Amino acid sequence: MAMPVAGVPTESPAAHVPAGHALARIGRAIRSNRKAATGTILLLIFVLIALFPWVIARDSPTTDAYQPHLGASATHLLGTNAYGQDLFAQVVWGTRNVLIISVVVGLATTGVAVLIGVAAAYLGGVWDGTLSVLTDVLLVIPLFPLLIVIAAYAHGGTTLVLIAAITLTSWSYTARQLRSQALTLRNRDYLEAARVRGERRLYIIVVEVIPTMTSLIVASFLTNALYAVLLSSSLQFIGLGDPNTVSWGTTLYWAENNAALQTGEPLWAIAPGACIALLGAAFALLNYAFDEIGNPALRPVRRSKRVRSA
Amino acid sequence: MRRLTRYGVILTAGLLAAGCSAGSGSSSGSTSGKTSTNNSVLTISNENGALWSCGFNPLNSSYNLLSVGFIYEPLVYVNPLQNGKTVPMLASSWSWGAGNKSLTFTIRSGVKWSDGTPLTAADVAFTFNLMKKYPTLDLTGVWSVLSSVTATGTSTVTMDFSSVAVPYFYYIADQTPIVPQHIWSTIANPATATISKPVGSGPYLMSKCSPSNITYTANPHYWQPGLPKIHTLQYPAFTSNNTANDTLANGQAQWGAQYIPDIAAFYTSKNTNFHYWFPPILNVAMVPNLTNPLLSNVKVREAISYAINRQQVSTIGESGYEPPANQAGIVTPTFTSSLNSSALASWGNGFNVAKAKTLLESAGYHPGSDGIMTNASGQKLQFTVINIGDYSDWVASMQVIQQDLKAVGISITPSNLSNTDYQADLFNGHYQLAYVEQYTFGPGPYYELNNWLNSADAAPVGKQAASDYERYSNPATDKLLDEYSTTTSAAMQQSILNQLQQVMVSQVPFIPVVEGVDWYQYDTTSITGWPTSSNPYAQPPVWAFPDNEQVLLHLAPK
Amino acid sequence: MRYALRRLGFFVLTLWAALTLNFLLPRLMPGNPALAMMTKFHSAGANPQTLRALETLFGVNNQQGLIAQYFGYLHQMLTGNFGTSLSQFPASVTSVIGSAIWWTLGLVGVTTVLAFILGTGLGIVSAWRRGGKLDSVLPPVFVITSAIPYFWVAMVLVLVFGITLHWFPSQGGYYVTTDSPGLNLTFFQDVVNHAFLPAMALLITTIGTWILTMRNTMITTLAEDYVRMARAKGLPGWRIMLDYAARNAMLPNLVGFAMSLGFVVSGAILVEYVFNYPGVGYMLLQAVDGEDYPLMQALFLLITVAVLVAILAADILTALLDPRTRAAR
Repeated sequence: MAMPVAGVPTESPAAHVPAGHALARIGRAIRSNRKAATGTILLLIFVLIALFPWVIARDSPTTDAYQPHLGASATHLLGTNAYGQDLFAQVVWGTRNVLIISVVVGLATTGVAVLIGVAAAYLGGVWDGTLSVLTDVLLVIPLFPLLIVIAAYAHGGTTLVLIAAITLTSWSYTARQLRSQALTLRNRDYLEAARVRGERRLYIIVVEVIPTMTSLIVASFLTNALYAVLLSSSLQFIGLGDPNTVSWGTTLYWAENNAALQTGEPLWAIAPGACIALLGAAFALLNYAFDEIGNPALRPVRRSKRVRSA
Repeated sequence: MRRLTRYGVILTAGLLAAGCSAGSGSSSGSTSGKTSTNNSVLTISNENGALWSCGFNPLNSSYNLLSVGFIYEPLVYVNPLQNGKTVPMLASSWSWGAGNKSLTFTIRSGVKWSDGTPLTAADVAFTFNLMKKYPTLDLTGVWSVLSSVTATGTSTVTMDFSSVAVPYFYYIADQTPIVPQHIWSTIANPATATISKPVGSGPYLMSKCSPSNITYTANPHYWQPGLPKIHTLQYPAFTSNNTANDTLANGQAQWGAQYIPDIAAFYTSKNTNFHYWFPPILNVAMVPNLTNPLLSNVKVREAISYAINRQQVSTIGESGYEPPANQAGIVTPTFTSSLNSSALASWGNGFNVAKAKTLLESAGYHPGSDGIMTNASGQKLQFTVINIGDYSDWVASMQVIQQDLKAVGISITPSNLSNTDYQADLFNGHYQLAYVEQYTFGPGPYYELNNWLNSADAAPVGKQAASDYERYSNPATDKLLDEYSTTTSAAMQQSILNQLQQVMVSQVPFIPVVEGVDWYQYDTTSITGWPTSSNPYAQPPVWAFPDNEQVLLHLAPK
Repeated sequence: MRYALRRLGFFVLTLWAALTLNFLLPRLMPGNPALAMMTKFHSAGANPQTLRALETLFGVNNQQGLIAQYFGYLHQMLTGNFGTSLSQFPASVTSVIGSAIWWTLGLVGVTTVLAFILGTGLGIVSAWRRGGKLDSVLPPVFVITSAIPYFWVAMVLVLVFGITLHWFPSQGGYYVTTDSPGLNLTFFQDVVNHAFLPAMALLITTIGTWILTMRNTMITTLAEDYVRMARAKGLPGWRIMLDYAARNAMLPNLVGFAMSLGFVVSGAILVEYVFNYPGVGYMLLQAVDGEDYPLMQALFLLITVAVLVAILAADILTALLDPRTRAAR
């Protein structure tokens, strides 16, 4: 759970680019950038696994059907845990819960952030002041302890509670970024033109401004999805999720409860953790690649193979 | 640039060096049990979930864990694992009066408190009367049956009963620690007093206490000469199971009371001197709320009992540590001698899916379109079960039970609650089914069965029941239980127990699933004298008092 | 000066927000979770004073209106009366927290300083030698490590170095039975021994951020005109790197440091949990487990205040170091 890699908020260099163009630009960028390509492929693999888990894992993840404490073998790729459940099935089926949480939270958080950040930039004055203060305050209060307290009072929650809690507490960083970018765009000519035309503020915001911030919004979605994965698995790991759902975090919870590392069942703990790391890496790579796309100075210096001409 | 790399290397090397040297220094670890009595150390591993508050009041449940058995002792030791075999402690002998309405103890002479003052009958009478004056000190409720306790001379104590209650001998003689009158008579409020410098008659003195560790040393003036043989006890405070388990696994602690997952891989495989024994003590049961209209039908309860594959619950839910229970409600092998074999035989093979289905059919149920048993009025056999969410083994067991019951068309939904919510619902009867283990253990199956079946311990739904949570009430059963408490005859007691077991298999007031056990680990590298399944001279965990005193008196360095 | 006052104002505002959040949370949750806790306190034998203090803290038995409760709560918080701990009854919350603070400060403080120094150093070097081996390897590696959950790194370290190789202990802060806290060498060695793996876990996961942030800001700084000027003037490379570029690039990093504190905190909580390291984070999780809400509340406020103080200090330090703000005063 490290800070987002972009220490400097990136501005989209192009001024006024319609939404469709922006997406095509993104697509091209992904193909050309190695990091983006890796990230996308990883993400796609996980999405496929989440959509069709029964294709890869033929066992049920929840029935205690097998002999406990088996090591990795051909029939049980990751072995079985202390309850006789197939670990590979657990990991595969757990993908769904994790992906759902990360995508929903990513979207919801970004949505809230867009709302608040752009509104603050556009409404200005008292609104801007209040919303900015709210954002800054929430930004500074340590997120994870707050989540722990909320989840503790809710006596650990269902997945829905987890999603709601994480969304309501993690929008502030993105809101700040979006607000500062929206502020710089506020006085561009085409927006002035729209104002003179008599368009309503809401129209300007939704149709003219937000599309130009697409790359930042997409980057924010990726960041928030990454944090959603890490935060939700951490909460599930310490027992504040719903221990009866099948998810990587809850598998880790059971592994920790059964001292998996000390009883010679390391795969029980290592495998789900590795998956979290891989999914997180997918989001992080994509995010980093977007950073480079936005800020050309950060792109890797490619050593030219051509001889310097005289 | 090169400067930076060099610093980095030195820094890492330095850290590694510091780490490794410190590591090799203290990994030689345990200093337990050297041959000379003066140096022998026993380290305890019992996770209590909190740091120590350094209070040693033996009559207060917040502190008695650390003082009874070590520092304070009872009148008589009663061994629950050997059918109530007695060992005289502060009382050298005792006898019941006419009609069992009075109990007279002869107090042992020559016993001294750790400050040198002689212990007499006055101290014993004082202790009991203190409990009468401050009812919160009467943890086992002995004054509900006593009418007076008086000392005569220096060595006789007579106790008169307001109602005959022979089983209360256990609570009076075994479960009551005796405190010194000359110190406690000056304490303003004994109920809340912490007692940080305890004076007792027991084998150990409290020599040092910090929130993270307590050190006890042998009492040189203990009344049993040559005992205790282990000179020092270390009792660290653990807040997590994992840390406590680790100290056992690497030999730093020798006496454990821990739940260890996969104990073979975690513990016993590490050293041939590491052993464990889990004596079964109480039933863990599926408890129906008998006020529920569907569950009040005995056939439904019988069906549930036959549908559960207890062996599977034991193997998968409890890792095989807790053996399957039986419908007669007798914990085996601890109380096997009390088993009514004909009652058990009439119950037949405990796991019988076909019989369960037949019973349900005869009760008017048939499988609905969703597979759940429904009766003619459309009522379905679907229930919620309250369970303690913190007990991962109970949660796992419930999953097995859920699958077992589904196979006969009964649908249950586990509700994993926090301890407090669970207790609130259980005590008040706000549940349909519950997974329960009783809290009190005693030297015979009577104690547990009485808690389950005595209607005096029940209460209407909405009020707190003391222990009869299922709200079972049957005057004939009450009569049996009352009769038991009036007699000291073993034959009569067994006859009543046989009838109680008949009640269990024919009326099915609750459904025992597995037998709860004591967690107990021991390390024989440098210490001998441990209680084992072949020599169960005391209940083995360190928190069981006053059994812990017996263990401490038997242990010796090799 | 005005800047410092503004930051101080923000600090007070955030503190008030955290206190208010703390006040509202148990009252907003469906079925006041504190009710069950009060029953436990009753049965533990708490005296009326203790119970009244707890009622004000959690809003049970609201005989007072919400506003009156709020002011009573604020008064209690500001006078340091955080109530009695349930899991360590009858110890007061403040006495329980005291012991844990040192462990966390030690672990987190030392690790953060190390991560800052090492991370910034490596970031500077990597940016200076753009396209070099360090630069092409580090960024992708650390992008990936920034996505690894803290507790997983901790578990891997426990598995490899604690259990398989037996190089370091993997539980606790020190051996409670053989060592007693004090200023002696054996205790110190014991503490270092036990702190090594947790510190490594924290270091590994946090260092990536430092390196990458520093690298990115250095790269931007290196493109500035004054750096080009210094190079044209013929100044030695390392001088430009340290005195010109790094000095200016480090300022935003300080801001980043303050912001990343939140993540260090969550990392510390998880690492302490896996290693059962007796610090504040571990105690927080134990309090949650035991439904010890007074302790949990107080720890949450403690962590928040610590983060706020650190950020305030970083802000003021930045203001003092940045010649631009100095000139503006």
